[in-house]
Amino acid sequence: MRRILAIVLATALIGGAFAQQIRIMGYGGQDPAILVRLLDEVIGAELAAEGITLTYEPLEGDYNAALFNALSAGTAADIFYIPVETAPGIIATGKVLALDGLFDTAPFIDSLVEAYTVDGSVYGIAKDFNTLAIHYNTDLFDEAGVAYPDASDTWATFADKLRAVAALDADVYGTCFPAGFDRFGAFAFATGWQPFDADGHTDLLDPAFVEAVTWYTDLVREGVAIQPSDIGQGWTGGCFATDDVAIAIEGAWMLGFLRNEAPNLQYGTTFMPIGPSGERGNFLYTVAYGINTDSPNRAAALRVLEAITGPAAQQWVLEQGLAIPSRTALADNPFFLEGTPEAIANRVVFEGAADGHVLGFQFGNIGTDWMTPVNDALVAIMTGQATVDEALTEAQRDLNALIERAR
Amino acid sequence: MRTKRADTVAAYLFLLPFLVLLLIFFVFATGRAVYFSFTDYDLFRPPNWVGLRNYAALFADALFLSALRNSILFAVIVTAVQTFLALVMAAVLNQRVRGIGFFRAAFYMPSITSSVVITLIFLWMFQRRGLINYLTETLQRHLPVLLAFLLVLIAVQVVQVAWERRSALPATWTDPALFVVSLLVAFGATWLLVTTGVVAPRDVAPVDFIWLQTRDTIPSGAPFWLSVPIPLAAIMIQNVFTTIPTFMLMYLAALQDVPKSHYEAASIDGANATQQFLRITIPSVAPVTFLVLTLSMIGTLQMFDQVAIFGDAAPLRSVVTLAYFVYDRMFPGAQTPEVGFAAAGAMFLAVLTLVVVLLQRRLVRSEGH
Repeated sequence: MRRILAIVLATALIGGAFAQQIRIMGYGGQDPAILVRLLDEVIGAELAAEGITLTYEPLEGDYNAALFNALSAGTAADIFYIPVETAPGIIATGKVLALDGLFDTAPFIDSLVEAYTVDGSVYGIAKDFNTLAIHYNTDLFDEAGVAYPDASDTWATFADKLRAVAALDADVYGTCFPAGFDRFGAFAFATGWQPFDADGHTDLLDPAFVEAVTWYTDLVREGVAIQPSDIGQGWTGGCFATDDVAIAIEGAWMLGFLRNEAPNLQYGTTFMPIGPSGERGNFLYTVAYGINTDSPNRAAALRVLEAITGPAAQQWVLEQGLAIPSRTALADNPFFLEGTPEAIANRVVFEGAADGHVLGFQFGNIGTDWMTPVNDALVAIMTGQATVDEALTEAQRDLNALIERAR
Repeated sequence: MRTKRADTVAAYLFLLPFLVLLLIFFVFATGRAVYFSFTDYDLFRPPNWVGLRNYAALFADALFLSALRNSILFAVIVTAVQTFLALVMAAVLNQRVRGIGFFRAAFYMPSITSSVVITLIFLWMFQRRGLINYLTETLQRHLPVLLAFLLVLIAVQVVQVAWERRSALPATWTDPALFVVSLLVAFGATWLLVTTGVVAPRDVAPVDFIWLQTRDTIPSGAPFWLSVPIPLAAIMIQNVFTTIPTFMLMYLAALQDVPKSHYEAASIDGANATQQFLRITIPSVAPVTFLVLTLSMIGTLQMFDQVAIFGDAAPLRSVVTLAYFVYDRMFPGAQTPEVGFAAAGAMFLAVLTLVVVLLQRRLVRSEGH
């Protein structure tokens, strides 16, 4: 009896000395299931051999609020997600480890590393990224006898194609345009407009921005585009799945949704239309992994970071159609060259990151609050409650106050 | 003497578990929040004393002023409307009618349904092509038919009652038996008018009233402190709908205690139903009215959940309340939490609630006695 006890104790001690438990905090939704599969199928065995076990703790609801609470209470995990739009605030807490000299960032796409660089130090390794692309319903275009949107479309030819398809029926719309900068911004960027000047100020009355707002909201006023909520949908992907909306401007995250909600919908994907600047505009959306400065297992956490952002893991994520990898070496991956609609969509989204005026989905330390005045203006114009001038003048005033506060 | 002291000790021992919780989660937490409201604390760096700066900043913040205006209007309007309607509904449900149990249960349903679920359903109803706009449009379209029906109904009823009275029979204008006949005749007549095409639904433009995504106010163009943003009005309607049943239940309990003899005496003296309601029912339930008013004031001043669920569906400035303002400043954009500023907002809300309830206590007391 005594011997058995000794063996149990010894194993526990040895196990305790070698097994290191690394916790990861991230989004809820489908992410927990993905990480479990990634562990089971790709990196789990390798890490286990080194005595490292991983647990994933999803933070449901408002991720930002939950993470700030965990960070301040000292209960945050060793590794956590850093959404690009709130990265400046999370890094400013001083709880994110600077990776200088600890992690090789060279294999990752420059703009993604840039988004997590503060004062010359890198604080996060992008797990993947997304951009916007035009997804079109081929059946609706065929029925209307209209050519599919393609890479040579300008705003004008693009709008004409939408008009022609919308003319099919009163219930058919060219596209859903939400009153949100998180989609509209890509069009604003296509004029060459930038959200912040060198002094950190925003100019919403810049003629380029006014032109983009006018074009975007006019299509809604005209009835060619419609707000998702007006046909009972929450987002553009929902509109697209109804089969009554010809195109959707979304990222690769919509593909999984379509697979489940509209498996019979035939679609193609192409690049965003060319704006008045002669270039396309696009957003770069991303989430990174950061390491907790207070982590007791820093070495193990770095090892895990290496594994979950490694080539093997990213290849698997790509092949599963889950996300676009953040490593430059995966650009000429054979998966992108397959002819399936999903592979084409992924390739367009991947190449969109380096095509024209592409800006990160980030608003300095003002964060997503920056979008509120702009979104209010878009709603007011789309619903006819204010003219472009009135709405943007008011938004500019609100935004100035916001920027002033954040200083 | 000794037993008395032992009793006291025993009492405190029984109270201890609750007192410990109260000390940790209420007294300590409140104390810290009061302290933080005078500092620039951000959860991560040690707090620095800044005196009254946070409180001064509150009144320079446009969102805070909107929140203050919204909270006060919300509390006053919702409390007034729901107290009145709760009393009326309780009076209606306090009658001895067959199947009253069913109606009592049905009327109570909104209160036991989750507020999140109801808010989501209302969000759908308030959409531009939602149920409310659809019903308004349908009503407008069928207005001629409805009017024809009502006119026939009233005409037939008047003719019948006049006929009965001419035969020296005692008939009131609302005689139920005659009313049933009038209803049937009106139905038939309307059906005939519609099928022969004399009366037809009108062509009306679709109703496109924007409930949520708007900054407009009712009345439009009123001074800032008196204008109710339309999205806030939508939340008011929903809040009244969900909270009435709880207060109705309190009134119902109070009404059951009003002696029947009072009503009997009043009716012998010739008081009609309205007079009985005003002179007997309302004074009898005055203590419950005070309770209802107080609970409703506190609840409405601290309203948070419905604004949170409305989220991006309505402009923040049009629906923000003080409680939501505190939350919003606690987790602002991509900055570190403004704990000091948020705590100052929370303290202001606490003091405001206290003052309002004390004021109301004075007013209702002096009126009641």
